[in-house]
Amino acid sequence: MDEEMGGFTHDDFILPPVKYEYLDHTADVQLHAWGDSLKEAFEQCGMAMFGYMTDLAYVQIKEVHTIEANADDMMGLLYHFLDELLYLFSVEPFLICKKLVITEFNTEEFRIVCKCYGEEFQIGKHPQGSEVKAITYSAMQIIDEPKDNRFEVFVIIDI
Amino acid sequence: MVVRNYNEELKYLEKINPYCWRIKKGFQPNMNVEGVFYVNNTLEKLMLDELRNSCRPGMTGGFLPGVKQIANVAALPGIVGRSVGLPDVHSGYGFAIGNMAAFDMSNPKSIVSPGGVGFDINCGVRLLRTNLHEKDVQPIKEQLAQSLFDHIPVGVGSKGIIPMNARDMEEALEMGMDWSLREGYVWAEDKEHCEEYGRMLNADPSKVSLRAKKRGLPQLGTLGAGNHYAEIQVVDEIYDKYAASKMGLERTGQVVVMIHSGSRGFGHQVATDALVQMEKAMKRDQIEVNDRQLACARINSVEGQDYLKAMAAAANFAWVNRSSMTFLTRQAFAKQFKMAPDDLDMHVIYDVSHNIAKIEEHVVDGKVKTLLVHRKGSTRAFPPHHPLIPVDYQLTGQPVLIGGSMGTCSYVLTGTHQGMTETFGTTCHGAGRALSRAKSRRNLDYKDVLTKLENMGISIRVASPKLVMEEAPESYKNVTDVVNTCHAAGISKKTVKLRPIAVIKG
Repeated sequence: MDEEMGGFTHDDFILPPVKYEYLDHTADVQLHAWGDSLKEAFEQCGMAMFGYMTDLAYVQIKEVHTIEANADDMMGLLYHFLDELLYLFSVEPFLICKKLVITEFNTEEFRIVCKCYGEEFQIGKHPQGSEVKAITYSAMQIIDEPKDNRFEVFVIIDI
Repeated sequence: MVVRNYNEELKYLEKINPYCWRIKKGFQPNMNVEGVFYVNNTLEKLMLDELRNSCRPGMTGGFLPGVKQIANVAALPGIVGRSVGLPDVHSGYGFAIGNMAAFDMSNPKSIVSPGGVGFDINCGVRLLRTNLHEKDVQPIKEQLAQSLFDHIPVGVGSKGIIPMNARDMEEALEMGMDWSLREGYVWAEDKEHCEEYGRMLNADPSKVSLRAKKRGLPQLGTLGAGNHYAEIQVVDEIYDKYAASKMGLERTGQVVVMIHSGSRGFGHQVATDALVQMEKAMKRDQIEVNDRQLACARINSVEGQDYLKAMAAAANFAWVNRSSMTFLTRQAFAKQFKMAPDDLDMHVIYDVSHNIAKIEEHVVDGKVKTLLVHRKGSTRAFPPHHPLIPVDYQLTGQPVLIGGSMGTCSYVLTGTHQGMTETFGTTCHGAGRALSRAKSRRNLDYKDVLTKLENMGISIRVASPKLVMEEAPESYKNVTDVVNTCHAAGISKKTVKLRPIAVIKG
């Protein structure tokens, strides 16, 4: 599943705009992300999580890894997508992502394939932010209203 | 769910003494037993404000107020006694943090719930003593703090330095502190002063997912982030001279080290995996609960048993983790003082677990019963003469370690007989959050917090700058209020007050 160095095109280094924010929550933090499509809102939500672990300005794109998430419904899909990203950070390759591109976004079979661009997390180079313990379903919301062009997600992460 | 306004809600709450409130049946649907929570005047206000805020229209927060969560737990199948909220209670995932609930093992419908343990399984506190005095440490305090920070890996993305491969990990999960002892990281007597002697015997690593093991391996022997810390503290006040001397705390100014950490990514993953399994078990066994976050399974079901075995493995992981940091702390002190840890008398005073479920015997309605006691953000506090506490503490009661927030005091309490009957031998665990993390960052200034700590004579080493605001004392309930409430209510007894002089945090 690894595609090591090399083979990057110019486009791979173009960074998406920031479409996420962190909302108030007593013990934890709520991620709020949006976009021009639900796919983009998901990508943004993943980047929001990484942005809470470090300052993404210090992260360079040096590696790309592909993850896959499967579920039984949309909320499950969002949950497992974020859980896979957290896992990518927690174990080999310890990847901190600056950019996420979902290449397959199947809302019928509830499946995501995503390319994750970033580098290995390195203390000293990357400022240490908060540690994410787990993704939760609490107050999870997925707003998918194409007619109003409204695509938003809300997720509480346990920190 | 029933929608009521704040004044109607209050009718279900009754203050039964200056430190204790009763939550009557009907406050939430299907309550099997009543709820109870311990607060003083200051904490009472925080508790009721949280409830009042949730009664305002348009509230869409993630968690219910703590008092509602205590009541929802009272509705779980098989619960006995009362669902108890300790003075540091605040809302958490499913169960409140600072919640204790016991389930009758002989009732086939009784449940076990990962939400009643928490994501950080066997998060806990360990206290090491030294024979040093504050004046021995003062001249080299900065170097000592730095040395501790250099020895113990802290913060997000840090990796353990204790050599460990996948096979070692399997053994550590099964053996807990016996593994640390065999590998030479701890002293034999450390085990004596640890709940369960640092090893849960029912741990079964084969019930743990590969994913959890992979997350755990690089993190063994790391402190973590958030509210976890290692602190150098001094004895500030002794309330109970006899009990303190049994712990080797003889005089004010004596230096001790407190370590607050848990089972890291390993425990988080075990909890996550169990929640997925239990959702399925709930559908199959038609277990009805008031809140989806209270995912649970019957104790005797496959899912229930598998969780208890995996949870025990995570508990063992946490003890090995705290033991590894004990080793690193002893090394750091030995290097700075050029003396062996033995000669510095760096013994473990005690090690408590404040996120765990345990099988214990208690008296319910005059009969001895075997219960599964969930303690989430609450600490076991067994009274004198209880068979499960070490010989050294048979006459004093179990030492209970209460970590303060950054820059505030910590306490050592002891268990009481009253606590044994009222709360199944359970007391508070710490300060408990009062402000949200985002609010702390907005309202507090990084430099102000650091200057304040400096003025109090506290050296600080923090990996993440934003933690400085998030973990500032202003973000937490006052730990002294919390401890005084437990003391006044009689569920545990104040023994020693500790004051920090150096803090190491993620």
